[in-house]
Amino acid sequence: MTLAQATMIDPPVVSWLGIAPELVLGVGAALVLLIEVQWKPSRTAIAWAGGAAVIAAALLSVLLHARIESGDGISTFLPFAGMIALDGFGVFARYVLLAVAGLGLLAAQRMVQEAGTRAAEMVALMLLATAGFSLMAISANLILTFLGLEIGSISLYVLAGYVRERGNSDEAAIKYFLLGSFASAVFVYGVALVFAGTGNFSIQGVHDYLDGVVVFEPGVILLGLALLVVGLTFKVTAAPFHSWAPDVYQGAPAGVVGFMAAIAKIGGFAGLVRILVSAFPDLAGDWAPVVAAIAAVSMVVGSVLAIVQDDIRRLLAYSGVAHAGFILTGVLSGGEGTAEIWFYLAIYAVQLVAAFAVVAAVSGPSGSRSALSDYAGLAQRQPFLAATFAVILLGMGGIPLTAGFVAKFGVFSDAWAAGHEWVVIVGVLASVVAFFLYLRVIVTMYMDEPAGEAAAAPLGVRWVTSVAVVVTLLFGVFPGPLLDLAGRALPL
Amino acid sequence: MSDFLWLVIALPLAGALFLHFFGRYLREPLAGVFATLAIGAAFVVAVVAAVPFFAGTGEAEHLVIWEWMPAVGATFELQWDPLSALMTLVVTGVGTLIHLFAIGYMHGDERFHRFFTYLNLFAASMLTLVLAGNYAMLFIGWELVGLCSYLLIGFWFTRPSAAAAAKKAFVVNRIGDLGFLIGLMVMFATFGTLSFEGVLGRAATELTVGTATAIGLLFLVGAAGKSAQVPLYVWLPDAMEGPTPVSALIHAATMVTAGVYVVARSSPIYVESPIASGTVAVIGAITALWAASIAIGQRDIKKVLAYSTVSQLGYMFMGVGATAYVAGVFHLMTHAFFKALLFLGAGSVIHAMSDEQDMYKMGGLAKRMPITATTMGIATLAIAGIPPLAGFWSKDEILGALFERGGIYSALWVVGLIGALMTAFYMTRQWVLVFAGRPRWDEGVEPHESPAVMTLPLMALAVLSVVAGFVNTPFRFTLEHFLEPAFHGVEMQHAPEGWGMFLVLAGLSTLAGVAGVAAGWLAYNRPPEVWRRFQEGFGRLWTAWEQAYRIDDLYGAVVVAPGRRLAEFSAFQFDQKVVDGAVNGVGALVYRLGSALRMLQTGYVRNYGAGFAAGLLVVAIWLVVRGMS
Repeated sequence: MTLAQATMIDPPVVSWLGIAPELVLGVGAALVLLIEVQWKPSRTAIAWAGGAAVIAAALLSVLLHARIESGDGISTFLPFAGMIALDGFGVFARYVLLAVAGLGLLAAQRMVQEAGTRAAEMVALMLLATAGFSLMAISANLILTFLGLEIGSISLYVLAGYVRERGNSDEAAIKYFLLGSFASAVFVYGVALVFAGTGNFSIQGVHDYLDGVVVFEPGVILLGLALLVVGLTFKVTAAPFHSWAPDVYQGAPAGVVGFMAAIAKIGGFAGLVRILVSAFPDLAGDWAPVVAAIAAVSMVVGSVLAIVQDDIRRLLAYSGVAHAGFILTGVLSGGEGTAEIWFYLAIYAVQLVAAFAVVAAVSGPSGSRSALSDYAGLAQRQPFLAATFAVILLGMGGIPLTAGFVAKFGVFSDAWAAGHEWVVIVGVLASVVAFFLYLRVIVTMYMDEPAGEAAAAPLGVRWVTSVAVVVTLLFGVFPGPLLDLAGRALPL
Repeated sequence: MSDFLWLVIALPLAGALFLHFFGRYLREPLAGVFATLAIGAAFVVAVVAAVPFFAGTGEAEHLVIWEWMPAVGATFELQWDPLSALMTLVVTGVGTLIHLFAIGYMHGDERFHRFFTYLNLFAASMLTLVLAGNYAMLFIGWELVGLCSYLLIGFWFTRPSAAAAAKKAFVVNRIGDLGFLIGLMVMFATFGTLSFEGVLGRAATELTVGTATAIGLLFLVGAAGKSAQVPLYVWLPDAMEGPTPVSALIHAATMVTAGVYVVARSSPIYVESPIASGTVAVIGAITALWAASIAIGQRDIKKVLAYSTVSQLGYMFMGVGATAYVAGVFHLMTHAFFKALLFLGAGSVIHAMSDEQDMYKMGGLAKRMPITATTMGIATLAIAGIPPLAGFWSKDEILGALFERGGIYSALWVVGLIGALMTAFYMTRQWVLVFAGRPRWDEGVEPHESPAVMTLPLMALAVLSVVAGFVNTPFRFTLEHFLEPAFHGVEMQHAPEGWGMFLVLAGLSTLAGVAGVAAGWLAYNRPPEVWRRFQEGFGRLWTAWEQAYRIDDLYGAVVVAPGRRLAEFSAFQFDQKVVDGAVNGVGALVYRLGSALRMLQTGYVRNYGAGFAAGLLVVAIWLVVRGMS
């Protein structure tokens, strides 16, 4: 049986390798829980088990990547009845997601230690969230995209409320859950409308339908598209759908906030880019102005509001809103900007996890108060932590020779080339404003008198920040290899 | 292929980094030895890489080391052709000798290792400048050598005069850099790239005369700043506050020639614009004569050499301005040898005289310091243009090219001849005042010959000052052929051909040199009362020379004082009220906007939900309405 025939016959084609990373993560989550029940191992062992699952998933992704690149035709068909896309896009998404999961586990080290018997729950939830967003990224079908979104999101709702003893952790979880459900409902309604308009759940099917049929009354489809875009921009904390983020980031336990924030952004952007670029390229003239407006509002609102925050977590949340806007400018150029979006996401996700790891180290892993004044004179109390944090913040600000600069330059030049000059101008101005807020944190750390004692940073946190510094500087000076890799991360 | 060429920059850079972090653990000579080895190794690498050029089989190479954002053309790339090879060999070769000399000269300094850190850092920066494969990288090197120059002039920063001189050098160079930077912007706007290949290869076909003139003149502003030409030369004499090896390396042999290098490198642009080229030559001629006259009246041993350097750089500008690029670069090379030797000799004398720099308090040192006296004597004859020493050949080639070019350049040729006479005179005056006659030393000064670590570089440079001229004589154009690939396709000016013309021109300039030397000898090889009376005979002219025409006072009154008032106004009136007001205003606006928006952040889920729904409505309505129309 040739591959060409395979696409036509009815019984679904199965490619276990195609979903192996997600399988490993899911099975890993289950195993971690079972091991905990059966053997009650040390918390460190549980964390290692989670880490092993992540590493195994990463190795399988590399294997899959090699298969796809080998050109043996594996990527020409969609296994599992057209549910899964085997493409560079999904592989790169997994790399980034798994890197975030690994770093997230490292950053949560102290929290795992303090979690007592519930450590396994936490590790399992992190693995499940990764698997969910990963499914979202490789999905070739809107239904599966929704399923992945929900698997990931629900895991995150639970993680947000993980520290039960603390009121505002519960509050964060409930807020996240209510608003998240709202967004999910909007998304799934959008899927329904798109199906109503095109008769397709499959991304390729929607694309083919729009390509081949002249739609005289596209109202239903456009309404569906609007709901899809809104549902996903909620996940990536783009304004005006961001209002949950500061409250949730502030209330959720510091040890996992970085993971939560980064992984949801990656999943959300993976879904958004795949849907807009692969399913709706023919309607780009309609959705591009919407995305441009959301990007501009996000950049401005995020940067401006970040400046007035006195809490580092809220500050990072708003800066995340601005970053969502920056990344959205890359979406504007249709498929052209996919590589730059991935580059940006990879860099920013690592920086975000590391930044919250610093927060967890300074204000305690389960605490919720992270006033900026806690960071006064951090350079004297914790020179290593302060120095690495400073580099990460400069990278987020996009100073030349950091990866953040290359990333911003990439998405902006794509948007400019695609004719959205005004968004780029807004973006550049917003980056100037945003840069001030990163500088403000650095000044607080280096210029102000030390306030109180800071607990020594755990080894895991040091590792995470070191990795982020290396990534920030290495890919700032030698962006080539990562840009090449991201350049192959294209959807089918 | 010269793939290993990056080592030339990396070696001194690694030396600087190592000394920066670990230098303080090294005992005194070790830091200097280490730095000398680092640059010496770079010299060896450069020689190996240049072998194909010597063999005549080399072709210009363009080495991309790494690409940082190729989209904007920000690439770290090296240009390896005979021109950059020659510059690299001069920088590393002379640099090694000066490093070696400095081990002896800086003996006992508290910040011994720091000095060599800066020296190595300077070498790496200068090599970045001459090896750069595009103008952006060249500019980075250009700024870095400026920074190192600042650090090294102010090395003895506890002396107020040293700190002031460093600041002056920095500020004056900024003026030049601004012109250079604007020139680069014009270039980028014209060509859309800053790479040598992209710009210089297309200059002949795509550049209009107007643009070529604009870029050429703007580059000249930068070159005049870095190479101390009128009117931006004033920083160089003050820069003598730095330790003498610094003066030799940076302010004689290498950094100050960067302007000449840039003009020669940009030759395809300059040949397109007679106005820009002519301006370069005229500026050079004015500088050559102006600085030579000041040099006559100086009594500080290093000041004479400083003004002499300014004057000789003027000759190089005359050469490259007359599109005689090989002649200009040739003089750059020979000058690097004999002027480095003169500075190092002066350093040896200052060292021996317990930091005395006043020549009126020297005299009769030839007996105490035979090696220094002999080597400096050779350098003096070389710069005076006495055949067959190095300076004769290179200066004569410039003068010959000026003569052959004709027109206004004939006037420049006359200026050059007069300048040659003056050069021979003030250099002989210096040698005689220092080494001949009776001692006029202060009490308790006991001069002695310097140690071998200092005299060895002197002897090596003396040999070069004698023989270096033979690489390009009218009988054998070795350098010309060597440099040919770098100036491929550039219409270049040469000295006139034929024996008759050569003999006439060479005879005239030899006559000028010999006359200058003889006049200097006759005037100064006498008791102090006699030559003092000789100097007084010039009356106010001598005072003007002695006080360097009081240009610093003029600049002080015309530029610095109004500048200070403007700065004060800007800082205390304009900046505090207008700019700060505006900045604070924007800041306050952003803050208020933020605070207002913050009101929306109530913490109530129902409000968030409402906001979400409102955003959703806007998006949905917009898209649906669009779909209906």
